[in-house]
Amino acid sequence: MKGIEGLKAWQAAIQEQRDPDATWIAVCAGTGCLSQGAADLAAALREALIRHSLEGKVEVKETGCRGFCEQGPLIVIHPEGIFYPQLKAADAERIVSETILRKQVIEDLLYQDPVTGRRHIHEGDIPFYQKQMRLVCRLNGVIDPTHIGDYIVHGGYQAAAKALFEMEPVQIVEEIKRSGLRGRGGGGFPAGVKWESCRNAHGEPKYVICNADAGDPGAFMDRSLLEGNPHSIIEGMIIGAYAIGSHEGYVYVRNEYPLAVRNLQTAIERAEAHNLLGDNILESGFDFHLKINRGGGAFVCGESTALMASIEGRVGEPRAKYVHTVESGLWNKPTNLNNVETWANVPLVIEHGADWFSAIGTETSKGTKVFSLVGHVNNTGLVEVPMGITLREVMFDIGGGVRGGRHFKAVQTGGPSGGTIIVDTTGAARPAEDRDEHERGPALVPESLIDLPVDFESLTEAGSMMGSGGMIVMDETTCMVDVARYFLNFLTEESCGKCTPCREGIRNMLAILERICDGRGQEGDIDLLQEMSDTVADTSLCALGGTAPNPVLSTIRYFRPEYEAHIRDRRCPAGVCTALIEYSINATKCTGCHACFKACPTDAISGEVKAAHVISTAKCVKCGSCLDVCKFDAVVKQ
Amino acid sequence: MPTLTIDGQTVEVEEGKTILEAAEQLGIEIPTLCHHPLLEAYGACRICTVEMQRGKRVRMVTACNHPAQEGIEVQTRSPRVLRHRRMIVELELGRCADLPVLRKLADDLGIDRSRFGTGEHECILCGLCVRTCWELVGARAISFANRGTDREVTTPYHEFSDACIGCGACVAICPTGVLKMEDIKGRKVIHSELTLGPQRAIRIPFMQAVPNAPFIDPDECAHFTTGECKVCAKVCPRDAVDHQMEDQFEEIEVGTILVATGHDVIDCSEMLRYGYGLYDNVITGLEFEKLSHATSPTGGKILMSNGEPPKSVAILHCIGSRDENYKEYCSRVCCMYSLKFAHLVREKTGAEVYELYIDMRSAGKGYEEFYKRNLEEDVVFIRGKGSEITTWPEAPGEEGKLVVKCEDTLLGTVRRLPVDMVILSPALQARADAAKVAQTFGLGCSRDGFFLEQHPKLGPVQTASDGIFIAGTCQGPKDIPDSVAQGAAAAANILSLVDRGSVVIEPITSVVEETTCGGCRLCISVCPYDAARFDEEKKVSVVDEAVCKGCGTCVAVCPSGAAQQRFFADTEIMAEIDGLLAEIGDRHQFPA
Repeated sequence: MKGIEGLKAWQAAIQEQRDPDATWIAVCAGTGCLSQGAADLAAALREALIRHSLEGKVEVKETGCRGFCEQGPLIVIHPEGIFYPQLKAADAERIVSETILRKQVIEDLLYQDPVTGRRHIHEGDIPFYQKQMRLVCRLNGVIDPTHIGDYIVHGGYQAAAKALFEMEPVQIVEEIKRSGLRGRGGGGFPAGVKWESCRNAHGEPKYVICNADAGDPGAFMDRSLLEGNPHSIIEGMIIGAYAIGSHEGYVYVRNEYPLAVRNLQTAIERAEAHNLLGDNILESGFDFHLKINRGGGAFVCGESTALMASIEGRVGEPRAKYVHTVESGLWNKPTNLNNVETWANVPLVIEHGADWFSAIGTETSKGTKVFSLVGHVNNTGLVEVPMGITLREVMFDIGGGVRGGRHFKAVQTGGPSGGTIIVDTTGAARPAEDRDEHERGPALVPESLIDLPVDFESLTEAGSMMGSGGMIVMDETTCMVDVARYFLNFLTEESCGKCTPCREGIRNMLAILERICDGRGQEGDIDLLQEMSDTVADTSLCALGGTAPNPVLSTIRYFRPEYEAHIRDRRCPAGVCTALIEYSINATKCTGCHACFKACPTDAISGEVKAAHVISTAKCVKCGSCLDVCKFDAVVKQ
Repeated sequence: MPTLTIDGQTVEVEEGKTILEAAEQLGIEIPTLCHHPLLEAYGACRICTVEMQRGKRVRMVTACNHPAQEGIEVQTRSPRVLRHRRMIVELELGRCADLPVLRKLADDLGIDRSRFGTGEHECILCGLCVRTCWELVGARAISFANRGTDREVTTPYHEFSDACIGCGACVAICPTGVLKMEDIKGRKVIHSELTLGPQRAIRIPFMQAVPNAPFIDPDECAHFTTGECKVCAKVCPRDAVDHQMEDQFEEIEVGTILVATGHDVIDCSEMLRYGYGLYDNVITGLEFEKLSHATSPTGGKILMSNGEPPKSVAILHCIGSRDENYKEYCSRVCCMYSLKFAHLVREKTGAEVYELYIDMRSAGKGYEEFYKRNLEEDVVFIRGKGSEITTWPEAPGEEGKLVVKCEDTLLGTVRRLPVDMVILSPALQARADAAKVAQTFGLGCSRDGFFLEQHPKLGPVQTASDGIFIAGTCQGPKDIPDSVAQGAAAAANILSLVDRGSVVIEPITSVVEETTCGGCRLCISVCPYDAARFDEEKKVSVVDEAVCKGCGTCVAVCPSGAAQQRFFADTEIMAEIDGLLAEIGDRHQFPA
């Protein structure tokens, strides 16, 4: 196969074989859906098709993640685009017999909007997808990641061919620079500028690396992209390597992402078999070899210098970056490292041009950003939105608002170390009368914080950051001290332990937070936390330590009264910190149904049937079982 | 040459220097914990953090690894720097409360106690040991394991690492004293800091060595084991260290040779009943000598392996000497040095000393007097050879002791002596390679392997080969005065030869008649003096007349009669016989 013509001929040949009107079923086989039984569902569908003698006529395709993980396992029936969420293997027979054979939509299997109660037939009609702009993820959920033909038929590798045959390396760097594409790994450094520095750096060979370590709790963007569309990352890396003058690349991916590793491995093998990787790609004379390097699951190995140390076979710990990695990176050679999403954006920029790309987004932040929207939100999943969309739109329009009719409290972006919490202390998202007294406090954030546009600058100005794309929504049942404690606990374990402020600082900050949550907080603890945060942030070696105090600082900044309640009143306003809460039974509401009596694992509840029950605080272990079973709101937690 | 400002002072530094080095140039001290000039900057302790301004941007950077760039302004003691420095030291103190190195830093910064607990860790995780092992030594035997608060320095899987070459560099560089050396590479260790045997790869062979210059022992040197290190070359101000230097073999033509190759000491570990190598505090006389020397690691103190001085010491004579299972001869020196040890132990520790002897042999000037002095110093002399050392107690007072069993031949009883330390006096024996040396120099060996002198009374330093002399213990066990006397005698003999410039050789030597020699080389194989050699060109044997002693062995074996002895040619002998017989014939008439 030679050049762009060869590629297009291949694409045409595949298209010819495929009937555009043929019915086929896309079963989401992302890790989320697989864990909920997508593999069984696909098998059941195939069996049902055989029963109805439709095998070979209707194809069942296991695709990458469609993003709406909340509703898994889910399928889309093409060409009509009928969307069925939350299926079981038992539903397969009905789907084949009714929808496939008789073209009837099964009403009760359709997606029902939890807010409006309306049912939607097509994916595009669902609010979750309506405000999204799926560019990077456009083929996730459409193609089978293990079939290179699926990618080719959608114009795959044509951007790489265009770069190799029609553009000079300098031109590519210029195009990326002009597009305004910024690193999606967290820092937001302009990709084109990085490429240019690496291209101009002295030293051979040069390396390109794809950072697929993505270890933030609650973030799975990079993993889903690798699982669902590995070829787009390979294509981006080919373009980058050509522009920089590199012939060797590494994908550093966590070993805990077995599907991502497997799909990527398959993709590399297929690409090599079709002369899209290796020596003399598409007979252009350009060589590029790509290797997978599996990481051992250390969060710190997402840091570029630690990642490179890990590839070299050394202990994964960062070093000072006073000499940049573009000049002296992997094996002290010029190295260009970008994250998965950045690489996946590259073919789009080359294919459609810098002008097209820079038209999306805001003045300084171009293109789209993939977020993993998790936490107390109705629609959790993977969302891709244009830069500049507001937090309100992401959380309330796409996310469908806070789950269970509770009140929104805060949102955390940027992962545990990069992360900061953007808080709705003003209650802009809900009526004023709903607000608790402790939350009213001084308005430290602007009224419009909830309407903050999602772009690099705005988030940084608000004391947060883009990060790699985790977005955790928290409702009123979240204790902010506990949140800070959770993240610091994670960071204590994940700090590499090399430098003192990070290793000892975070550990001791965690100890202070633990004693606050335990009701042993002392006057002055908040000041001490701030004092320590100052040093940890200022003197740590890498970004993990440098940003580790953020969860503490931001929660103190926006929720100081909650800290004070823990320390002074020995009270956890959100009712999370078990040492600070007590369960009791409201005698006027209690009907004496005896449900709590049966549920209590420690026999702490006493009382006769049809008489008010009592909880013995001495025996109570605060498990909350009574609260869960009480149908009369008689159990009180405070 | 970048110019920068540190604490208001301007300094110009070489390209590639760090802020720390620039500050040093100005005499400004920046505290560090994880930094060492021989190692690559690591930036882990963060104590050297300083405030750096470039243009309008102010950043906190670590002085140890940030390049000294043109135009930067550095503050090493600004309020912000000091605030962070105090916090970092306080955090470290919370981990390791009692480390002197941290305590000093804390005192300098006015920190009384840490708000973060009184941690009992000893290691500050500065990584100096790990980096020394990797960067300098190149053995890569130790590394960091685990993450975060579990981080520690260890060998893979906490097991003894074959990669460790036992160089001790990690121990030497550790600022806390946490790392300790244990038994290393099978070498005998009697005190945790005292390894008996070669300790340093670079050393002066012995005191008063000529030339008095250090040398590198390639068997011990990390560079010759791993190919890395070369720290000595880096620190030598005179560039005198050369790792390329190789042993050279030189051929020197000489007229005379003095063989003084000394002796070996019998290996006590073969005699299992004495428990040498098994019990820590059973040592040999030489080891005791090293221990009690003023330059020993204990500074000459006599200590046991646990660092305590012994309360009782037994000195066992004749270990392997006067023993038909090992050496039948008397080693001559042991009685007197054992008396010296007894005297030293009494003097330095006051411990009870037992001397276990077969016979006290103190023949020599002043020796008997020294023996008497020991008697007066309350050294206990027991006439009887120590037969066994055990740690198995049979009576109260023997627990935890070394029990020496012996027969007291004066009392006629078997005794058990519980002691803390035992010094063995091993037999002197001929060197292992004595036979090879003897062959090279044409020397003879006595039955016990020592070199044979020409005549026990008239030629004690001469040998059967002219011009080759022997002196010292290679000839047989003897003490230092005897060795010195022998050496001097040999030297005088040699000088008389050198002075004369020529040697008088025996008139009676062998010659090989070229015309009749068949080249069988039998003569070469039998010549005891290596005097015969083969002439490859002429294919005949040739006798070196300067070496030939005229013994006639070659003449006797020569099948062709080519080897003839001067003045004793066959014809001459026959003529002599004929002459003798003629005389007899005149007197007695034999029937024809």
